Amino acid sequence: MNLLDRAEEVRFQFKKDLSKVNIDIQSVEDFRLEYLGKKGYIPALFREFTSLSVEDKRKCGKILNQIKKEAENSIDTLKQRLNSIGIDEDFFDYTLPGKLPRLGHLHPVTQTMNEICSIFREMGFGIEFGPEVETDYYNFQALNFPENHPARDMQDTFFIDDSILLRTHTSPIQIRAMEKQKPPIRILAPGRVYRNEAISARSYCTFHQVEGLYVDENVTFCELKGTLEIFAKRYFGKDVKLRFRPSYFPFTEPSAEVDISCFICGGSGCRVCKHTGWLEILGCGMVDPNVFISVGIDPEKYTGYAFGMGPDRIAMLKYGIDDIRLFFEGDIRFLKQF
Amino acid sequence: MIVNTKWLEKYIDIPYSPEELEEHLTYIGLESKIQKSPVDKIRGVVIAEVLDVLHHPNADRLSICKVSTGFDMQDVVCGAPNVAKGQKVPLALLGTVLPNGMELKPVKIRGISSEGMICAEDELGISSDHSGIMVLDEKAPLGMELSEYLSGEGTSIDIDLTPNRPDCTSPIGVAREISILTQGELKIPEIKFKESEESTKDYIDVEIENIDGCPRYAARVIKNVKIASSPQWLIDHLKGVGIRSINNIVDASNFVLMETGQPLHTFDYRKIEGKKIVVRNAEDGELVETLDGIKRALSKDILLICDAKNPVAIAGVMGLGNSEITPETKDILIESAYFSPTTIRNGSKYLGLSTEASYRFERGVDPEGITNAVNRITDLIIELAGGKVCKGIVDKYPKKISPAVVKIRFKRINRLIGIDIEKSWVKEIFEKLGCKILKSDDKSVQVLSPTWRPDLEREVDYIEEVIRIYGMHKIPSAKRLQIQPSHEVDSRYDLIEKLRSILCSYGYFEVFNNSLVSEKQTQFTFKPVKPVKLRNPLSLDMAYLRTSLIPGLINTARWNINRRNCDLQIFELGFIQYFDPDSETHAMEILKFSLLITGALEDEHWGYQTRKSDVFILKGVIEDLTHRFGIESLKFEKCKNNYFKNLLGSNINGKEFCYLGQINQEYLQSEWSIEVPIYVLDANASVLLDQAKFEIRYKPLPIYPAIERDVSILLPEKIPIEEVKQKIMKEGGELLREVKFYDLYHGKNIDNGLKSVTFNLVFQVADRTLKDKEVDKRMLAIHEVLKNDLNAKLR
Repeated sequence: MNLLDRAEEVRFQFKKDLSKVNIDIQSVEDFRLEYLGKKGYIPALFREFTSLSVEDKRKCGKILNQIKKEAENSIDTLKQRLNSIGIDEDFFDYTLPGKLPRLGHLHPVTQTMNEICSIFREMGFGIEFGPEVETDYYNFQALNFPENHPARDMQDTFFIDDSILLRTHTSPIQIRAMEKQKPPIRILAPGRVYRNEAISARSYCTFHQVEGLYVDENVTFCELKGTLEIFAKRYFGKDVKLRFRPSYFPFTEPSAEVDISCFICGGSGCRVCKHTGWLEILGCGMVDPNVFISVGIDPEKYTGYAFGMGPDRIAMLKYGIDDIRLFFEGDIRFLKQF
Repeated sequence: MIVNTKWLEKYIDIPYSPEELEEHLTYIGLESKIQKSPVDKIRGVVIAEVLDVLHHPNADRLSICKVSTGFDMQDVVCGAPNVAKGQKVPLALLGTVLPNGMELKPVKIRGISSEGMICAEDELGISSDHSGIMVLDEKAPLGMELSEYLSGEGTSIDIDLTPNRPDCTSPIGVAREISILTQGELKIPEIKFKESEESTKDYIDVEIENIDGCPRYAARVIKNVKIASSPQWLIDHLKGVGIRSINNIVDASNFVLMETGQPLHTFDYRKIEGKKIVVRNAEDGELVETLDGIKRALSKDILLICDAKNPVAIAGVMGLGNSEITPETKDILIESAYFSPTTIRNGSKYLGLSTEASYRFERGVDPEGITNAVNRITDLIIELAGGKVCKGIVDKYPKKISPAVVKIRFKRINRLIGIDIEKSWVKEIFEKLGCKILKSDDKSVQVLSPTWRPDLEREVDYIEEVIRIYGMHKIPSAKRLQIQPSHEVDSRYDLIEKLRSILCSYGYFEVFNNSLVSEKQTQFTFKPVKPVKLRNPLSLDMAYLRTSLIPGLINTARWNINRRNCDLQIFELGFIQYFDPDSETHAMEILKFSLLITGALEDEHWGYQTRKSDVFILKGVIEDLTHRFGIESLKFEKCKNNYFKNLLGSNINGKEFCYLGQINQEYLQSEWSIEVPIYVLDANASVLLDQAKFEIRYKPLPIYPAIERDVSILLPEKIPIEEVKQKIMKEGGELLREVKFYDLYHGKNIDNGLKSVTFNLVFQVADRTLKDKEVDKRMLAIHEVLKNDLNAKLR
């Protein structure tokens, strides 16, 4: 059949010419027009194709398409050689920038939360979630914040109505978990929390927390210290020092705040640690018996510890970020850095 | 709260440097920080004496001061109204750099040269006071550096007091804590005054109507005092804790409040009607005018101090103007009381008024410290204002506040802390804390709590005291943890992280937006919902919880576009909320993830063309994403919504899953001033996580070759591609393994109303090599159907 023969001829000629094309813009373009341009050989074959019978079309169509594709690919290759090699075939400009894969970035606070969670998960903690809109009972009462107690001033609260509010910490998740599960309970509670505080470089009305809870027989303060020490060394480096000092949280007794030796200056004092050599990174303590009573766990039989930290703050310390609002602006130039 | 080491030393010997004290206090739970005085760093400000003050010849308000530093004399032009001959003042010498950055150079002021500056407090960074120059004590040594002189005034330590420690709201309380560490004796100021023959009870009677709100109320009368301004030491002392001096009586009561932590109030006795104090609840709406001149409407939960006729003070919060001490006051009535913490807190909250007094009452004052405080202030008033002290204190104590009796088991201490602590040491600590040991044996100790420690009520409270004094930093860390992994799997957390990381791998940047939005932004939903409204928002712009993640993403897009970052692929994963009366919290919370794209998908680069955003990019994302979560082919439907042009929606197993489309350009323009096209996807993450399936069964790879064929047709434009594909699949039957749509063309050489489309068909079966003939037969059937059913023309 005529068309098929001619097609094979075009293919053969194309290959022959291809090896002779000069690698310069004009020659490559002329070559392309000769075969693939409107008046080129290959479109001419296709024009002829339309007048064939159905049966012939079936036979030829695939071959024509193949020839066209081959020609296009070869010309693309020529063009690439033009671009990368330039005119001098021996010149290879290795300084041309690489063609980067385009991947996204996880938010620095997400990365921080994931890193924190993965260390505790290795130790055996599981992850629990809870609602952001909470009842006063779960956010305060069950956590041993009596009504009308100055302890409530420690957390400025957004209220929906008298008994419903935006959680000020992820501790309500601990209560919900203790209501559901029987000891041993070991959970992490990551999530978004809210405080009614004016927005500034140092505070934002919403931020994140990761809390942990371990309830079992014979959970001690020594166990708490050992656990947090492993975390701190894994997360901040094995030379980091921890400092526990007594504090007050309604839901733990005894309560402590934990400082780590400043990882910027190594403890000698700098701007980040406000010249104290220490950075406050988390609060913790032994679960208050009143909390156990409110969830129906016998405080004589079981003891437990709880801790909580702010990944936003930890990320700020770690990356040297001095304005928390950057986390919520979504500026691509900022997010790209993590 | 700020304490000064110099005052602390009045009550306890301190064998520590300020830095050591800071650390010791911090380790026993009083988080302390030395307050660096800005003056510490200044060099070149010295103490000088004003020898003479002359009028400036060219300016009425300026004067020329001759000052001496003891080794030098100079002329300084000064504009302060209070400068006077004989004063000791801080003089900044030439070359000195002040905290505000100002460097002193010789200058001519209105023709007179000035060789230095007499400083006001604000210029030294001490306070914001610029009313006049700072005047120092007349004994201040000439020529001494001001920083050196002021360092003799003690070091201020700022204690961040936790709300459970009312006992430490005073230097005496802090001194008591130090005494536990040092074994030192607490030095309580001696009471020296003598009482007169007249008896207080002849002058005042106290009647308490609400004994729960006011379990104890003590009063005393002092006659014939002389109201005057306070001596400098008292003015300075109060200033150091941020209190303005008023007169000797009011200052004395503030001094004792700060010293002991017991708030006191003084009334002008002659303004108290009927020789009577009545403690009662206010009536709803009752109006009073407080000392600060503000008229306040009260509620029935607020406790009032009244005389026989009228209210004279809001109990524990603030006095009223009608009974305040004035320069004409002769006789005074002193109040010292224990008000219930809840009552005072309610009142203070209701009025939005927090004072030094309410701060202490709402934390709980020492019920046994009431009369001591009366005696202490009496002594001070006699010293400062003279007068005759009426005999005795009228002390009504109708409801005894009993400190707790607590049994502490040694075994329990060990169980909670994890190490054994010496029993005798524990008992010793309890005694030092001020407990009375009632019983003690080998197993436990029973104590009566000190009256100033309302926080010590339970065994665990005492265990905290043990660990606090022992030193948390000395307790060893467990070397071998007893925690064991749980059998439960957190599939939800893992799936959420998988979702995030897949989106990230598609090139999307994760952003966080504020969940608190304006009412208008809550209207951006696919179905009308009632948003959750905050009762006490920061502003109207942040009065609602978001009902969609999309407005936040558009906001982020605008932020970036305004900063010339116009190519965006961003996502957020988070909760949205709307009102739901059936939920426990009256809010439905849904975990969502939303994507936004605009501009090019790749950076501009040599060597290739970048792809541009469109709806099908997002369609591809969600198709691939669901596939990775084990969900078979999504079906899309066309939807309508005013915020969108070309909106698609999809369900998974009948559950509403996602919407995607292009945002309506007029809306973008009018609401957001964005002119470029923006495409978004909104998806319910919970549906994806719930429906996800990961039971992958491997399919054997084909052994026999495939035959590929193309179908290239012209067909009416309005026939959807999916319909064509379905026809092809049906006719292709069991031989047809895959149909790929790969080319779409309209325009040149194609008649109006038509489109040219091409599919690639792969025929293959598992058990044999297909023959061309079989495939040809199917192809013929496909062409026939397309021709007959869809009016397609073969190309």
